[in-house]
Amino acid sequence: MSSKPNDAVIDLDEQLLKEQEVGYTWEEEYKRSWDTLQEDENGSLQNAVATLNKKLKLKRKIKDKQASQRGLLRYCYIVFDCSTNTSERDLRPSRLELTLQVIEAFVLEFFEQNPLSQLGIIVVRDGLAKKLTELSSNPTDHIKALRDKQCRDPSGSMSLQNALLIAMNILRQVPNYGSREIFGILGSLTSNDPGDINQTISEIKNEKIRISIVQMAAEVQLFKKACTLTGGVFSVAMNEIHFRELVLNFIIPPPILLEMYNTHLVEMGFSIRVYDQIPTFCSCHHKLTLSGYLCPRCKSKVCSLPVICGVCQLSLIVSPHLSRSYHHLFPTISYKEISTPEVSINCDGCLDSLVNLKHNLSSGGSNFDSDTTRKHEDVFQCPNCKKNYCLSCDIFIHETLHNCPGCVNMSNSLQN
Amino acid sequence: MPSGTGKTISLLSLTVAYQNFYADKRKIVYCSRTVPEIDKALAELKRLNKYRNENGCPDEGFLGIGLTSRRNLCKVVDARCRSMTSPWVRARAQNNEPDIELCSLFENLSTSPESMLMPSGVYTMDDLRDFGGLKNFCPYYLARKMISVADVVIYSYHYMLDPKLNELVSHEFSKNSIVIFDEAHNIDGICIDSLSIDVNLDKLESSTRSVDRLIDIIADVKKNDASKLQEEYNILLEGLKESANARDNDMVIENPILPDDLLKEAVPGNIRKAEHFVLFLKRFVEYVKARMRVMHVVAETPSSFLQHLKEVTFIDKKPLQFCSQRLASLVRTLEINDLEDYWGLQKIASFATLISTYDEGFVVLFEPFESESSTVPNPILHLACLDAAIAMQPVVNRFDTVVITSGTLSPIDMYPKMLKIKAAVTESYTMTLTRSCFLPMIVTRGSDQVSMSSKFEVRNDPAVVRNFGFLLVEMSKVVPDGLVAFFPSYLYMESIVAMWNEMGILKLIYKNKLIFIETPSTAETSLALESYRKACENGRGAVLFSVARGKVSEGVDFTDNYGRAVIMFGIPYQYTESRILKARLEFLRENYQIRENDFLAFDAIRHAAQCVGRVLRGKTDYGLMIFADKRYARMDKRSKLPSWINSHISEEMSNLSTDMAVSSSKHFLKSMAQTFDQSLQLGTSLWSPEDILQRKKLKSN
Ligand code: SF4
Ligand SMILES: [Zn+2]
Ligand SMILES: [Zn+2]
Ligand SMILES: [Zn+2]
Ligand SMILES: [Zn+2]
Repeated sequence: MSSKPNDAVIDLDEQLLKEQEVGYTWEEEYKRSWDTLQEDENGSLQNAVATLNKKLKLKRKIKDKQASQRGLLRYCYIVFDCSTNTSERDLRPSRLELTLQVIEAFVLEFFEQNPLSQLGIIVVRDGLAKKLTELSSNPTDHIKALRDKQCRDPSGSMSLQNALLIAMNILRQVPNYGSREIFGILGSLTSNDPGDINQTISEIKNEKIRISIVQMAAEVQLFKKACTLTGGVFSVAMNEIHFRELVLNFIIPPPILLEMYNTHLVEMGFSIRVYDQIPTFCSCHHKLTLSGYLCPRCKSKVCSLPVICGVCQLSLIVSPHLSRSYHHLFPTISYKEISTPEVSINCDGCLDSLVNLKHNLSSGGSNFDSDTTRKHEDVFQCPNCKKNYCLSCDIFIHETLHNCPGCVNMSNSLQN
Repeated sequence: MPSGTGKTISLLSLTVAYQNFYADKRKIVYCSRTVPEIDKALAELKRLNKYRNENGCPDEGFLGIGLTSRRNLCKVVDARCRSMTSPWVRARAQNNEPDIELCSLFENLSTSPESMLMPSGVYTMDDLRDFGGLKNFCPYYLARKMISVADVVIYSYHYMLDPKLNELVSHEFSKNSIVIFDEAHNIDGICIDSLSIDVNLDKLESSTRSVDRLIDIIADVKKNDASKLQEEYNILLEGLKESANARDNDMVIENPILPDDLLKEAVPGNIRKAEHFVLFLKRFVEYVKARMRVMHVVAETPSSFLQHLKEVTFIDKKPLQFCSQRLASLVRTLEINDLEDYWGLQKIASFATLISTYDEGFVVLFEPFESESSTVPNPILHLACLDAAIAMQPVVNRFDTVVITSGTLSPIDMYPKMLKIKAAVTESYTMTLTRSCFLPMIVTRGSDQVSMSSKFEVRNDPAVVRNFGFLLVEMSKVVPDGLVAFFPSYLYMESIVAMWNEMGILKLIYKNKLIFIETPSTAETSLALESYRKACENGRGAVLFSVARGKVSEGVDFTDNYGRAVIMFGIPYQYTESRILKARLEFLRENYQIRENDFLAFDAIRHAAQCVGRVLRGKTDYGLMIFADKRYARMDKRSKLPSWINSHISEEMSNLSTDMAVSSSKHFLKSMAQTFDQSLQLGTSLWSPEDILQRKKLKSN
């Protein structure tokens, strides 16, 4: 086949293949990201925009195919690797440092988006697993624990089994309507276990606990198996940015496991904020405080929300928590990319002009300063309200706002 | 190309389509190497047949069947099979003699009228066993029976190449059959092995015992039933045609090779009588024994061996030629069931027949010691075939179409030369991959820039050994799960592992992975393999030390996590001090104009390719292939690698130091671990029907 002249097809195909492989610029190791950013004649960062665009499209694809029923009450243990392997500096500043940084960001963002959920942290080192924090929904507790010196000193080997056992013993006690998850961030390629880890994994599966793992070096069969068996996700980080992205992906609540596909009614208390004149004891820290929230059932006072009432075990929240979790269930509709119109229109979000660059260039009549005016080549349209948005607005709407401004406007005007 | 890329199915679908298109429906005989490979090919054929049926090509009595040894097929006990199925035992049972055990499955098969009516379809080994179980037929003999009518036969190489087995199993195949040898990269080795015989003291002692026993039996028979022997004598007068009956039941002693015209000749007078023949054998055995007492190495041609034999014992060439045939006839006449006890004698008889039949292309080699250094004599007499063409020729002459194929036939022009065949078509195909799922790298030096090589002068240099060691340590750090390291020989592996132990390198590896070692013992090796697999399963990770040309390199697949990387330390040259190899090299040079170095390099590289090919088993698999020797970077070595490997060695990857290799490996392993969307490949390595039509159009234009 190789020497025939009419094999041009094959060659072309291989060319295509290569292109697909190169794909994301951030997947290339040797090149630093600033090498790949190049200004075109107009001075805009073509590549950066293209990359961002691609990323968005990928996200959208994932989002569109995911199931709509998601567990909003999550009980999740983060397991992070602190064995000698994590002192490697192939991810900067080092695997461990990067992990700690990203977990911190993760914790904050996690509670921002999953206010009804709880986290705990387990650290693995010297072949042992240690519980760093209990399950709680207080981000500061976790972050304080993470900043402890002992977390920054990698040593010994890693045992996934020990970590799983600790997490399992706690998670099996949480209410069964919650989504039980173990989230591992591992740098080690081996797991030195005291016993049969496969046994542990099947026990975990029976407890309906989900294991997800982000590996920092390569695909390890055992880790992958643990994830797929329990319905979690296994992924390997290509580099620092990818790593952060993979970890933060985990903030979106996972779809509900099939076996649990029936609805539960969960008791919750909407607490009332109080400001006392004289300090009273809070039920959570036993300290004298002035302000706090009252449990509607037992009237005890807690410092922060959301939390489980220490006296009567009621989940205490305020309504914005619910609504913040809500967008996972009803994601904002994905916008469609449309071809740039010939005439210049404005983005309905930021009011920037959406211009057809080529059109503009060929007409040669661009006399505005290219530094001050941003030009947008891609136009996205909401299929519902038919408003047009630029790329940045699209990302902002889908990642932060969780509401299409056009649609909201429409329903408002309908009500009026 | 590696297995799992669709070689077998392409080959089968092409040939089966060809077979069905023409009216003469040429039989396809597909030879493969191992039992699992045969079973895999059968499964592919089954799928193909199903697909053809579903897509409007009804099978019309299409029968595909596989054959392996009794051991794999028999559900009863195969050890006693011969004593339950031999014609005289069955005859006795028919005369209602007491205490005779027959195999009911075999009896059923030979008496049932249905036995030739096997429903059409493709039978894998399991299907065959099931069918046998259902009908109460012996699956082994059923297969033996059916291969003569089947459209596709899939069986082991030996049934075709080994003249003894070929005569037994494949003699009925018609001339226009299409014979396919798959995985044929080592076909010359198999040809040579099937005609080589080693004789040691064990075999000789066992032969002496057998001869004595035969003498007793003959005396016995003479007393009780002299007519039997007379009958045999009369048959032998007419010539050596075995009865078809005997062949049906394997009751012939395998005959190494006899030209057809010889078969029709009468057996020479001096061995026609049973008692004479036995004494003749005894004399021959004694002669060989006497030769074994020599304390120095002797190498001679068969004719000089025969010359000397004649001078000492007056044994002629002619009766020697008939030795194994005559023995077979005797065993039949004497109704001997426990043939296993006669294996030594059988070997000696084969030896006699071979040595007297062939002169060219063989060497007789006598070695009193196992190795240079040993002082305890362990004499071995080799009759070594040097010419692969001898076994190949009959096959090529007999069949119109012979296809030789493998994933690693390279350089391809070597094979026609060695096998003395004229290839009508030679073609080498590239492959499309769904992604660059393997990364071949040539590591030429350590991080300290000292070059690595298994060259004899430097192989024990501590700097080289250390660099080899650190390569392994570093790789064990970055490669997940399983890692396989191949060494050129057991000897070298032993010495390097000992040195690594002293240098503390093993300890460093042990921090990352467990270590398992292949040994010459099969039982130990399979235990090591099992533990190795387990370690790869439960996340501990493991390194397997094994040897090129060993069992692991030839027959074990390291799929997925069982092998994420293979490191080939050095170039696996054959042990050039071996006298048999020297004789073969000389033979190749003189007769086929193949230079010694060319052959050695060719042979070494094909084994290296075989070793690294273990890592990749299918398109979804991925792995690293590391060639650790600076000589691989030279064009004369590289060009001998199969093109699918060579073309993937990019310039940057062809001259790496350890640290560079490690960083490339890391990147490769990460990118391979990303989730992979098969549908992206539509149009590239995965073709829809439209793609195929379009391609066809392009071709025809
Ligand atoms: S005849 Fe068949 S079933 Fe019976 S013992 Fe022999 S191989 Fe087994
Ligand atoms: Zn408090
Ligand atoms: Zn309360
Ligand atoms: Zn905008
Ligand atoms: Zn809208």
